Amino acid sequence: MRASVAITGMGAVSALGVGATALWEGLRDGRSGIAPLVHPRSAELRTTLAAQAHDYQPADHFDERLLAQLDRVSQFALVAAGEAIAQAGLAFDDAWAARAAVVIGTGAGGELSRDEQDRRIYAEKGQRMHPLAIIRAMASAPASQISMAHRITGPAFVVSSACASANHAMAQAVLMIRSGMVDVAIAGGSEACLSFGMIKAWEAMRVLTSDACRPFSLGRQGLVLGEGAGVFVLESLDHARARGATALAVIAGIGMSADAADIVAPSEHGEARAMSAALNDAGLRAQDIQYINAHGTGTKANDATETRAIRLALGSWAGEPLISSTKSAHGHALGASGALELVAVVGALRTGVVPPTLNFGGPDPECDLNLVVNESRRHRVLAALSHSFAFGGLNAVLAVTAADDAS
Amino acid sequence: MTSDITPMTNSIEQRVIAIVASSTGLDVAAITPAATLQSLGVSSLDAIEIIFDIEEAFGVNLPDRTPDFDADTVGGLIEAVGEAMQGVGATP
Repeated sequence: MRASVAITGMGAVSALGVGATALWEGLRDGRSGIAPLVHPRSAELRTTLAAQAHDYQPADHFDERLLAQLDRVSQFALVAAGEAIAQAGLAFDDAWAARAAVVIGTGAGGELSRDEQDRRIYAEKGQRMHPLAIIRAMASAPASQISMAHRITGPAFVVSSACASANHAMAQAVLMIRSGMVDVAIAGGSEACLSFGMIKAWEAMRVLTSDACRPFSLGRQGLVLGEGAGVFVLESLDHARARGATALAVIAGIGMSADAADIVAPSEHGEARAMSAALNDAGLRAQDIQYINAHGTGTKANDATETRAIRLALGSWAGEPLISSTKSAHGHALGASGALELVAVVGALRTGVVPPTLNFGGPDPECDLNLVVNESRRHRVLAALSHSFAFGGLNAVLAVTAADDAS
Repeated sequence: MTSDITPMTNSIEQRVIAIVASSTGLDVAAITPAATLQSLGVSSLDAIEIIFDIEEAFGVNLPDRTPDFDADTVGGLIEAVGEAMQGVGATP
């Protein structure tokens, strides 16, 4: 029989604060981390809003020597991983360090370091790059840094699939645990993408809103960029039980698909295939799902397409599960999004409170779902889906179930 | 072409149409101000490239949601460029 995969620890850095608890409590209480963009060149940007991790202070977590080699994306990943590993009560000693993996998703990698060094060499006509430029900016740095900090010697790598990176990373981790290759995986996503150049590039795509992020709402105008990290300790249930660890939830199924259609426009068919694959993989039926944490970016196209995908995948049950997009609170943290959203899903499974979609301005006939809007709702959740649908049609869905306390 | 179109407007119109023609591969004669972008086969990705080309060509910034690509016409695009140029006080 294949191994069940439990979540035994979680950590986060987000616009709602440092820590998975700060993120969950913010989401549960309907607070938003979206605020006026703070950037040295904000006067030259059309973008007015962002979900920035203002509470995060590097000096609280790292000494100067280590900081010199860490891009912000690796800093977030390390802080979140440290929190998750501490909660799980793990120490990776030599005896089984090779039985643990690190799989981190990121869309933009070391964007801020690259941006800074590019400015130095191109704009300021500097003649020298910083000697640590490569090791800060390489996309795989977050996985390397976590493996070094915790002396994890098993498989370690970064997965990149734009806005689905975190969910794809967690899917890889689940597969490695199920195969018996490892007992434990540190998995999640990290993103620190709010460079001047990256914000300008998003502006050129004309998908950002300067109004408010209001997924599935009438009058929605686009997304708000965010940053942060969510990292989890995933572990075979047997391994967790043997060491007396508490399972917070179970990743019961994973589903992945490619639209194979358009580099930007989403496809309900591709998305529905990923949802159905996750349900099948988990051995769940549509009617077992009580909550969906939607991809819900707040763009016109995404939310209407996602609604059609939910109808395709869940059929007559599509109007039943509670649905929310927590991006309205933690912003769209691209490759970290699925990980921040898994914190919301675990919170809903553990407490029976479903966090809301904020800024809801009225129903859109194209998004006629059972939305939880503006305030959280009490509802017993035993099984949930967490959607991530990336540009380029790369889809990854997690099916997550409540940990069975009796088992 | 009607006589009440000023030379400046005419020039904006011709240049916008030339940009749309180059993006779509259509003949300029096939692109009228009344045509919607959708009817010309412009996808959302084509549309943001057209906007970029127009912004570069005229040295203006078009507002985020003007025009609305689902509904608007080439004429709407020309109008938006005219308004943006007035806004920055630029001349063609």
